[in-house]
Amino acid sequence: MLCNLVSIAERVGAVRIVATRGIPYPTGDPSLPPAEERAWRRALVERALKAIATAVTGPTQF
Amino acid sequence: MRSEGSAPGTGSVLRLLSHRVTAVALGPTTRYDEGTLSVSAAAACAALASDAIADFRVSWVSPGDSARIVKVLDVVEPRTKGRGGAGIFPGFLGLPAVEGTGETHVLRGVAVIAAGFLPRAQEAVIDMSGPGAALTPFGATHNLVVEFTPAEGASWESVDIAVRLGVLKVAALLAEAALGAPPDDVVTLPAIPHLRASGLPRVGAITNLQTQGTFKDIFVHGKSFGRAAPTLIDPNQLHDGAVVSGQFGHPALKNPTYVHQNHPVVAELRRRDGKDLEFAGLILAPEPVEAEQKERVSKQAAELCAAANFEGVVITKEGGGNADADISLKMDALTEFGIGSVGLFAEMAGAEGTAPSLVVPPERSTALISTGNYDEVVRLPAVARAYGGATVDVAGAPATAEMDLPTAVLYCSLSPLGAGRLTCREAA
Amino acid sequence: MSRVVHYLNQFFAGLGGENAASTPPGVKPGPVGPGRKLQELLGTDHEIVATVYCGDDLAAASPEAMAAVLELVMQARPDIVLAGPASTSGRYGVACARVAAGAARAGIAAVASMHPENPGLDDAGAAVVIASGASVREMGASLERLAAAARKRLAGEAVTEADGRIGKVPRKNVLVDRNAASRAVDLLLARLQGKDAPAEVPIPHFDHVTPAPPVPDPAKATIALVTESGLVPVGNPGRLESARATRWLRYPIEGKATAAAGEYASVHGGYSTVWANQDPNRLLPLDVARELEREGAIGVLHGEYLVTTGNGTTVPNARRFGVEWAAELRRAGITAAILTAT
Repeated sequence: MLCNLVSIAERVGAVRIVATRGIPYPTGDPSLPPAEERAWRRALVERALKAIATAVTGPTQF
Repeated sequence: MRSEGSAPGTGSVLRLLSHRVTAVALGPTTRYDEGTLSVSAAAACAALASDAIADFRVSWVSPGDSARIVKVLDVVEPRTKGRGGAGIFPGFLGLPAVEGTGETHVLRGVAVIAAGFLPRAQEAVIDMSGPGAALTPFGATHNLVVEFTPAEGASWESVDIAVRLGVLKVAALLAEAALGAPPDDVVTLPAIPHLRASGLPRVGAITNLQTQGTFKDIFVHGKSFGRAAPTLIDPNQLHDGAVVSGQFGHPALKNPTYVHQNHPVVAELRRRDGKDLEFAGLILAPEPVEAEQKERVSKQAAELCAAANFEGVVITKEGGGNADADISLKMDALTEFGIGSVGLFAEMAGAEGTAPSLVVPPERSTALISTGNYDEVVRLPAVARAYGGATVDVAGAPATAEMDLPTAVLYCSLSPLGAGRLTCREAA
Repeated sequence: MSRVVHYLNQFFAGLGGENAASTPPGVKPGPVGPGRKLQELLGTDHEIVATVYCGDDLAAASPEAMAAVLELVMQARPDIVLAGPASTSGRYGVACARVAAGAARAGIAAVASMHPENPGLDDAGAAVVIASGASVREMGASLERLAAAARKRLAGEAVTEADGRIGKVPRKNVLVDRNAASRAVDLLLARLQGKDAPAEVPIPHFDHVTPAPPVPDPAKATIALVTESGLVPVGNPGRLESARATRWLRYPIEGKATAAAGEYASVHGGYSTVWANQDPNRLLPLDVARELEREGAIGVLHGEYLVTTGNGTTVPNARRFGVEWAAELRRAGITAAILTAT
């Protein structure tokens, strides 16, 4: 799960959590120039892939 | 009152002779005279003396004093079976043996308290006045505080052993002073017969002991109870010091030797024996640290309850959330045998009391008693004198200062053995 | 005469809608917006002396902004702090809860108002939370309940379930006459007799989600993109709701290299969709996922994405969507999904 309000995600039981930079743009960061934003988005998704490949026992932030 | 020999195999009886102490002092000799206990500091320190300790100091603090004891280790009630101990605290002051019969003298209203630094010991506070005093049993006893300075080069393990042995010796010595005095109270405690047919529900107790090794261990007959199997034991043995605490973690959630000597669940079950229940017996169980050991011990304890024909069990623990698992697993295991149970738990509901109360509740039972919220903060006032140490590190303050502490730090405040009157209720 | 401080978000403070969700904390004297009706309901003994506001995005996600909000609240010297009603708005509910919790921590009576399913409910600390209706249509009734609870709190009376109290009630230590051992024996005997005697500790209920085992090598797996952001093809052909969604939808992304602006838009009513509509990859990371698939970091990117609107979704519906998504994806041989949440 890619989201901004990590504590709520943990509370409701989401197990693999990656923190994002803003509620209205989970995989975006409008404060960055387009090329950098896209690079940041790619790194975020790569982190999500790493989380998918990792065993966890409970809510874990990556 | 049941008479001796009312059922097969019940020859043993213990007579407890209580002597009330209403005033205390330090004096030239150790004597007990019409309620006043006077202690010779020199004699006490001589009894305490050990190569591992450079010096011991003893002081009295009494209920209502503007005094605080910090870095509290163990607390022991003065008891003896005769001159020289005569079997009291088996495995420490004498050979490991099964006691719990004959006569035992008790000084009521007094406690011997060891206080000072040991590794792995968590900061523990007893206040003799103010809001803290009502939250510990020892705010109401005259306390002989034993402070110590380790000898140079002595290992902490040897210091721990010396302090423990010394405190038990002093406890026996104090009780000896009352040997010649007529007791204020005599109670006869027969052994618990295991075959009765009263038709009343058979209720027993399981006492979980926190056995986590050095500085966090409980001794039965002088030997660590870690790795022991759940054991059915005549509760009268506890009166003679069969269970001694060497466990210095979780101050609010600890069961000092004093509380084992005055086991509140056993006392309650005895009080009601023959009235609305049959006291069926006492089982001691270790609290292992590994999950599969916890499960194994819990199942074995349940089997033992079934073999001893318990119909209901009161289960207690020592320690925090880890120890909750030991209660919950037993409650769940007992349901397999159709045996009912109740567990005594403390809550970890956060400073505001809104977090979940428990992390490891039982899965198949809801019969939970609350001994209070660990996290609720108490404001302690400044005091005139403090013993056991110069600072309270968790508060970052001098030991005599005013300080805010979570209930967790107040010694025995959430008494897992059920000695306390603190509980949790929903706020308005 | 009690001093009341009211907390509102940017919308109810009259500063704009989602586009103003980053409005910094501020204060206006007296009651504002729904605060006027609230003042009427409170009567003349209680005066709303100030209204503190903050943009929802900042209030919910920035600790510094929340600290500034609390500072403004305290400066007005309240006898009681009232926050909301937030209805089902998650960020507003979280903000109201935290304002109330902060006031309660400072020893000031505090009441927040929100719908029972608002995720902010658990953030209210020791403050009282009163149930509100699900939307602005029920504002009048919500304000009545809030005012009634405020008056009770100020009078030192207990606020209970009958008053609409929801959420956690703080538990307090209290000394009683009998020791725990004796209460334990009582409870045990009662239970052995089959009586329903009350226990002293509530059993907590956590949604325990058993973690799925890891996918050892994403380079060999089919991975799906799923989202609650409400992103749908422009025109919303499937009529996905903007709030309180009762359904989820699926749309093909096979062969698409990116989620193009002008092709997709979000219908989610719970946040400003401006940034997302500028670049829908900010909700559904299709561009980088396709890149990673091309490079072999992802085996195959599933040919569809699943979408719903996570705005005031009822818990039972949300659970149902989750179960259906899992079933759907498993049927298609998918072992992992990336869920983007707003």
